[in-house]
Amino acid sequence: MKKPIALLLAAAMTAGLSACGGSSEPAGTQAPASSAAGGETKEAQAPAAEGETQASQTPGEGAELVVAWWGNQVRNERTQAALDLYSEQNPGVTFDGQFSEWADYWNKLATAAAGHSMPDIIQQDYKYIQQYVSNDLLVDLTPYIEDGTIDVSNCNEDILNSGRIGDGIYAICNGINTPALLYNKTALDAAGITVKDNMTLDEFVALSKEIQEKTGYKTNLAYGNNEILAEYLLRADDIVMFEEDKLGGTAEDYVAYMKLYEDGIKEGWVIDAAVFAETTIGSVEQNPLVYGTSPETMSWCMCAYTNQLTAFRNAAPEGVEIGMTTWPSKDPAKSDYLKPSQFFSITKDSANPDEAAKVLNFITNSVDCNNILLGERGIPLSSAVAEAIAPNMDETSQEVIKFINEVVSPNSSQINPPAPDSASEVNNLINKLEEQVCYGQMSAEEAGKQLFEEGNAIMGSK
Amino acid sequence: MKSLRQKLGRESVAGVLFTLPFTVGFLLFMIVPMGISLYYSFCDYNILSPPVFTGMKNFITMFKDATFFKALRVTFFFAFVSVPLKLVFALIVAMLLLENSRMSGFYRAAYYLPSIIGGSVAVSILWKRMFAMDGVINKLLGAIGIQTSFSWLGSTKTAIWVLILLVVWQFGSSMLIFLSSLKQVPQSLYEAAEVDGASGPAKFFRITLPLLTPTIFFNLVMQTINGFLAFTQCYIITQGKPMDSTLLYTVYMYQQSFEFHNTGYGAALAWMMLAVIGLITLFLFATKKFWVYDGGL
Repeated sequence: MKKPIALLLAAAMTAGLSACGGSSEPAGTQAPASSAAGGETKEAQAPAAEGETQASQTPGEGAELVVAWWGNQVRNERTQAALDLYSEQNPGVTFDGQFSEWADYWNKLATAAAGHSMPDIIQQDYKYIQQYVSNDLLVDLTPYIEDGTIDVSNCNEDILNSGRIGDGIYAICNGINTPALLYNKTALDAAGITVKDNMTLDEFVALSKEIQEKTGYKTNLAYGNNEILAEYLLRADDIVMFEEDKLGGTAEDYVAYMKLYEDGIKEGWVIDAAVFAETTIGSVEQNPLVYGTSPETMSWCMCAYTNQLTAFRNAAPEGVEIGMTTWPSKDPAKSDYLKPSQFFSITKDSANPDEAAKVLNFITNSVDCNNILLGERGIPLSSAVAEAIAPNMDETSQEVIKFINEVVSPNSSQINPPAPDSASEVNNLINKLEEQVCYGQMSAEEAGKQLFEEGNAIMGSK
Repeated sequence: MKSLRQKLGRESVAGVLFTLPFTVGFLLFMIVPMGISLYYSFCDYNILSPPVFTGMKNFITMFKDATFFKALRVTFFFAFVSVPLKLVFALIVAMLLLENSRMSGFYRAAYYLPSIIGGSVAVSILWKRMFAMDGVINKLLGAIGIQTSFSWLGSTKTAIWVLILLVVWQFGSSMLIFLSSLKQVPQSLYEAAEVDGASGPAKFFRITLPLLTPTIFFNLVMQTINGFLAFTQCYIITQGKPMDSTLLYTVYMYQQSFEFHNTGYGAALAWMMLAVIGLITLFLFATKKFWVYDGGL
């Protein structure tokens, strides 16, 4: 008996040695970084482990603030430049800017939250704010707003309140946003096809077929990100997709959604799911709207948001113009919405929340700062700032403002309440089922029903 | 003073002192986290709020979780295909490099290189690009007359093989171990065999292979354990796509722990993996007496 136990221990040790290689970093920041094939591959941890390891320190008078965001190349450059400006104006304050892709960002942040080593200032999203506040991870900004550290006198009350959970304001919106269908205008122009705003879903499907026939470009509905489109379409029938502990609507509603994919694959206008196996979902630069070598593996459109237009235009190949319209819906006035594009929050782990609050004020109210950011995250919250920077904005941003003010605002409804914690698992479920439909492993009927049943079970259990 | 020096000079004390860095590290960074993870495996824990003890719930959930079984199947396939392939490659290359020539030092280093860099994120990204529809593999196939834009990573049949190939390519460390054992095979045995008129293959199967079995056994156990723990390749290249056909167990564990915030369940998955690896290792040891030559070299 002795020998087997010794063996088990040996196995445990070897398993432990390679699996826990990363945990010699401080307090559980990136433990699972790599349990790669064996002891000889320890290097693998280095690139992944440089996450939130440096918690905020306050050396002497100055302060080093860690600021984290997700984004794209344009945003990374502009945000870093804006932070540098703050350092210039406030000697002694330095920044460590950390950026990631969307999915990595949230994994990293959750891990950092567990280790109490979150950055001082984090970019926050409408999707996750509820979760972070209910777990007491964010600083209530009300006192800073009351004492004037963060000046909100020029801010739209409704939008400001989108950062309100219960009695506190936990996040300052840094831009206003709406859904926007981005499309390859160059390819469509060449085929003599024009796109009109406020298409219905049927018109959109017909258009997709026409484009596929004439140009070869296929259609990406919302691969890997289906919840945003499903939710949008359900709104047309007054259904809130994520209710507090269940999915709204009936199984039939979800079958109808999956049917879009099933028909699209059968009829050949939906893009092959294999394309997405090779790219990083959520990355603008690798999106099939702008990335790919032949129309066959590219999409003519993408369900995105207005603040992604700049990034997509930058990522587009030479000579390709990206246009913008509304997402399809049978009733756009009900489906469409204005959205706080994202927020900035101060975390409970920050050693210097006062300084961080000043930075938030700088981002919200400084014209100089916003002349650098130039509304890349969305229209600035402060109307004074929005007006001041408007002449300096490039054409793209001007176009976005016009689109939001003239196309969406008069024809939209209030956004759904923030989704509960369990939504992320349901989102994963939708995307998996949709993948199975695309690979022809499952019918839309089965997928829709399974989504409704399992989704409800997930949401009910938390 | 003298007594202290005497004390320090004693072998046991010196031994303890020299192993202290490892012992402390092992206790602090291995045993303690393992203990914590064992506790979490019996808890409902979502990282963001404190754990709540729920007994065996996580382990019961596991047996109703289809993705768990799927990940287990994929991992078994991955490990049991990649490990033998890797060992065969390692052995063949080791035999080729056994000959001492002017360049053999260079070749040994060159073949070892993938083992050092192969687990890195950069190589995984490179691999992903190589096997893309417009990647270099399809370009090369085009150059030899097979025009294709086949999606290696997009097909449920081929995606796992892309990962297996990457792991097999990292045969260097097993190769070095084989090389050192090959060098220890006494020349006198081969000379005797030649006198008896044995052919090349006979020499290999009757002398080399039996004498190598202890080394093969060692490599097999180590590589199997590593195979079950493979993470980076899958995490970077496929993330389990398409349709979980490449979802390695460790990646599923990661998804549960950090993407769905079911960290308690993730910890339970980790302990289940430990049990599985333990059982497989036991099984390998049980087969030892049937095929490993214990006579020593």
